[in-house]
Amino acid sequence: MSNVIDRSREIGPYIPAPDDDRIICRCEEVTQGEIRRAVHEGMWTMTEIRRYLRTGMGLCQGQTCGKLVKGIVARELGVPMAALEPATSRVPMRPIEMRVFANEAKEGGEHE
Amino acid sequence: MKRYDLIVVGAGPSGLSAAIEAAKRGLRTVVFDENEKPGGQLFKQIHKFFGSREHRAKIRGYVIGQQLLEEADSLGVEVRLNATVIGLYQDKEVVVKLADEVVHCKGDAIIIATGAAENMVTFEGWTLPGVIGAGAAQTMMNLHGIKPGQRVLMLGSGNVGLVVSFQLLQCGCEVVALVDAAPKIGGYGVHAAKIARTGVPFYLSHTIVRAEGDDCVTGVTIAKVDEHFQFIPGTEKKFEVDTICLAVGLSPMSQLLKMAGCKMEDNPRRGGQVPICDAYGRTSLAGVFVAGDVSGIEEASSAMIEGRMAGIAACEYLGFMEKEELAAQLASQERALDGLRQGMFAPQNRGRAVAETEEGIAVSASLLRHGYISDDEIERFPGITHRAGVHPVMECTQNIPCNPCQDACPKGCISIGANITSLPVVVESAECMNCGMCVASCSGQAIFLVEEDCGDDTATVTLPYEFLPLPAAGTKGDALGRSGQRVCEAEVVGVRSAKAFDKTNLLTIKVPKEYAMKARFFRSMHN
Repeated sequence: MSNVIDRSREIGPYIPAPDDDRIICRCEEVTQGEIRRAVHEGMWTMTEIRRYLRTGMGLCQGQTCGKLVKGIVARELGVPMAALEPATSRVPMRPIEMRVFANEAKEGGEHE
Repeated sequence: MKRYDLIVVGAGPSGLSAAIEAAKRGLRTVVFDENEKPGGQLFKQIHKFFGSREHRAKIRGYVIGQQLLEEADSLGVEVRLNATVIGLYQDKEVVVKLADEVVHCKGDAIIIATGAAENMVTFEGWTLPGVIGAGAAQTMMNLHGIKPGQRVLMLGSGNVGLVVSFQLLQCGCEVVALVDAAPKIGGYGVHAAKIARTGVPFYLSHTIVRAEGDDCVTGVTIAKVDEHFQFIPGTEKKFEVDTICLAVGLSPMSQLLKMAGCKMEDNPRRGGQVPICDAYGRTSLAGVFVAGDVSGIEEASSAMIEGRMAGIAACEYLGFMEKEELAAQLASQERALDGLRQGMFAPQNRGRAVAETEEGIAVSASLLRHGYISDDEIERFPGITHRAGVHPVMECTQNIPCNPCQDACPKGCISIGANITSLPVVVESAECMNCGMCVASCSGQAIFLVEEDCGDDTATVTLPYEFLPLPAAGTKGDALGRSGQRVCEAEVVGVRSAKAFDKTNLLTIKVPKEYAMKARFFRSMHN
């Protein structure tokens, strides 16, 4: 773990790969190359990657790409996948329309 | 805010089982599930389950789903569907989306049984329409009655890949190949064998190079990989397909637990991010329990027992049960779970190369590599014997926890013994009466009734048949060998469909007697 967040560690330069144009996060259309480059730009945690690129923030909420992105970041950092902390889990756990999200049920109220 | 004794998230096999145990002991229980139908994956499972009677073996998955629902219903469990849990907060506050409202509830105990999601692999063209998960294929076929495609390539030879391939065949698709990057088949040999004998080729140590097509999948290229999973140039093979099905594992959907603050770990042996919990599903947060795939990928049969254990543990936590009773109740569930976690495919044996069966017999290398037992390997297994008259031939060659065949035979011809993973053996002193119960009882479709010499240079082979249309007696066609290759001409001389066979039809074919131990499938001339 400490190895992962030790940002003084040298991970070498970004070397383009022939399949870097492959889409990894389909919902937000983020490619493998963008993820790899982001690591070399200093995004070393899943939370940073998510905020920087919006991976896993689309309709499927990372259900499809979560593991794939993690694999790419881990490989780029040269650490095992299990060593990377997953991004924070937050409400809403599933995509939800704002009009529903804001519509709290009155049922019973506080007095029940 | 609505209050419950117990809130269960997920109405799959483990969630329903947990709710049943809780409701039995008087807990006011609600189950939320985001789907429009309950049962989780159970209603997509049309095959017969393995195990023993206590694990509901030889009952089809969807029937187990119906049984669980009825039981839950009779106990007064409230199952809310289209109910998406969007958050789990402090003090066990659950936030649910119900219709177009957000509802807050509180449970004194919470059981998370959210299951798992399918993994994906990427390759050139993987985002093309036509590349689907095996679970999606199952949903289309078995919940909505839609054929996923005409010509399908399956990637992944675990039990999901094997079971779904068979279902694709049943629904009338052509499965052009079953492909896996691993050097050997991951799932049960009997599941592989029932696909191989229909003629589906297996490509182990192969994986997908690219999906072809502009707007949708029109083809797929696979290639051989070396031991480092790198493509070997020049080994490419191309197939024309409209569907590529991916069955490359599952990941626990454990986000709610992480959000709630449970201690988590990344455990590749359990499928990814899982809560740290004890054997009864107790997490690091008092009163928050887990059960089923969300705490580690296994199968529906074990998920149901885990659910029961978590349900029982929740009862004790809330004071609905004494400590002593808890121990007794959990012990019987643990025995049931131990029974399932035995044999070559047990969690502790995952990834281990097994060279011999528990009986000391060399496992079939061909079965692991090609999906079928070769003709020169089959004779060494104890289920294969020869005698005059009709007798059972059990091509069961791996130690898996399953024993319905031994109870199925009214004459006692088949014995497994007390050890549930033992290979079935033929009891020499018992006389087979050709009732067919063993053939229909075998969840792996690995039992055949053979009369090796009918006296006129022919033999008959009775085989399990779960395809439509059902050939009528008198239909002529080809007998296929275990490999799916044609071995000889054959004629259907008998078709049996009894209620006791539970939708497994028994086809009896006549073949020249030298093919008695080779003919294992029938293809009518019209196909």
